[in-house]
Amino acid sequence: MNTTILQAASLPALLDAIRARARLVAPARDGERIHFRPIASAAELVSHRDYINPRNSIKEFFFPRTEPLLRFDRAEAGIAVAPADTTFPPTVIFGCRPCDARSLLVMDPLWRWDYTDPFWFARRDATTVIAISCTRADEACFCTALGSAPNATDGADLLLTPLDDARYLVETLTPKGQAITSLAPDLFAPGTGDKQAPCKPAFDTLPPRLDLDRITAWLAANFESDRWAPWSYKCWGCGCCTFLCPTCHCFDIVDEGTYRRGQRRKNWDACQFPTFTLHASGHNPRPHQAARWRQRIEHKFNYYVQKFSVRSCVGCGRCIRHCPVNMNILAQLQQIASL
Amino acid sequence: MSTATEALQARARALLESGEADLVIGYGQGTNPRTTTPVFVTKADDVGQLVLNPFCRNNLANWLTRKDLRGRFKRIAVVAKEPDIRAIIVLIQEEQVSRESVRVIGVRIDRPGDPESPCQVLPQTTLDELQKHLRESFQARDLTPEQLREVEELEKKTPAERWAFWRQQLDKCIRCHACRQACPMCYCDQCIATLNQPQWLDTSAHPQGNMAWNITRAFHLAGRCINCGECERACPVDIPLMLLNRFIARQVKAHFGFLAGYDTEDYQPFAAYKCDDSQDFIL
Repeated sequence: MNTTILQAASLPALLDAIRARARLVAPARDGERIHFRPIASAAELVSHRDYINPRNSIKEFFFPRTEPLLRFDRAEAGIAVAPADTTFPPTVIFGCRPCDARSLLVMDPLWRWDYTDPFWFARRDATTVIAISCTRADEACFCTALGSAPNATDGADLLLTPLDDARYLVETLTPKGQAITSLAPDLFAPGTGDKQAPCKPAFDTLPPRLDLDRITAWLAANFESDRWAPWSYKCWGCGCCTFLCPTCHCFDIVDEGTYRRGQRRKNWDACQFPTFTLHASGHNPRPHQAARWRQRIEHKFNYYVQKFSVRSCVGCGRCIRHCPVNMNILAQLQQIASL
Repeated sequence: MSTATEALQARARALLESGEADLVIGYGQGTNPRTTTPVFVTKADDVGQLVLNPFCRNNLANWLTRKDLRGRFKRIAVVAKEPDIRAIIVLIQEEQVSRESVRVIGVRIDRPGDPESPCQVLPQTTLDELQKHLRESFQARDLTPEQLREVEELEKKTPAERWAFWRQQLDKCIRCHACRQACPMCYCDQCIATLNQPQWLDTSAHPQGNMAWNITRAFHLAGRCINCGECERACPVDIPLMLLNRFIARQVKAHFGFLAGYDTEDYQPFAAYKCDDSQDFIL
């Protein structure tokens, strides 16, 4: 493991060096909302001390809300179809949490399941992820319940752990991470440090590890359980949880435009919407919210495990923090684990 | 336990024990002290789950039109803040909820979100008494001075400035439809946003799709929005949806003298025809 020390005061210089060569995405403030978006200067960056997790996940920089797949033009001579460009600008995502970095590894097998998605992987190749360890957590965070940690390295190219207000411990984890430190080698001094101690307040807040195998077994055996209805009465079926989730990946393909020209687009879709499973016949195999909430839990903690041997959840807590009715997936999992 | 919570639990217990209600929809403690979450109480022994505090936010009238609940429970009692009672009145006017099937436990939270705010269970127990209470003691304080100032500022802008403002705000929309699901007035079986044969509204989160969805939604709430603020609170990208709703509500008030949700016997401007209605807009 190659570790170095970066002075916090040097961060703007590093970000400027990155900005000169790549699109820089980082947590920034718009009104009261702290969210990931491209930033034009280091001054727009929000300090990692000011957020637990930004509102959106980094998912949208690999799998955007709306993605044009092709363009079509209808003319006298016939229909001309032009596929979308899958070359993307070099991008550096700065300041995501280890949970978001890990979400990329959770999603990779999905996007190469029976077809290699060129959009996802071209963006993955073009993007470098610089994560920052969490020095605190809130009651919605639960990465540890899923076996991860607030200072985990999975999925990150560089991990910065704030040793104190003045210094970051930098772990260079991949060649892409190496390329970042090479942009400004003078800023990275040889050195090491204790990456556990600064994260202790986060560890102290985070919940204990769940018995995930027990949960998966219960889910596999209890598709028809009567419990799903009362568990989901309060869920009103919006897409807030799935759209903020770093690992929800369902999409719909639509053709939009006029008779003469338009685009085929890939849009986020949500299993919580009634139309998600509505058949052309009018039949809906998931006719009520209980079936849709069940799908969310079964997919993340049973089906995805069967297919890809990993849970489709990283414990970022956004679905709990921002659920308008305070649905709590952690409490749901703890409840299932106790059955 | 606060006296307000005690009073609420006693009211819920009486409704369940007498059989007047087979389900009480109320608020329970959420994941932190400043959150509550809807709870569904079917047994008198479980009324201890209910709380009444300044963090009771959701408009629980929203659940009165839920088909899975309607199928399972016949006499639903719902804890309703003052704006939420307005929602129940509109649902009754629009024949989505029958007066007989719903029991309203009216509550008052003076300053929602302020930990020091007084909270109380309203003494009125019938819908008629509650409507009278709304007209006489709530209507004047429904719109806060701050809310009024914001909407007046928007009104002062030119149409071009307003368009630019909304273009920018609606650009943030991710089309999660939390605003629709949050709204007690959005109960359509087939929302125009989900009709796809043909597809009326683009589902893409681009300016055209976002504008079409948000404007359609706001127009459909004209004369129906009851100012509960749930859509704006639910929005994960902080679009000031209530500003648009209040703007339209003021237009309806100015042109029709109508405020939604204060009287079940009132006519609704966009669902009624009068012989002396102005016809000059018909081409």
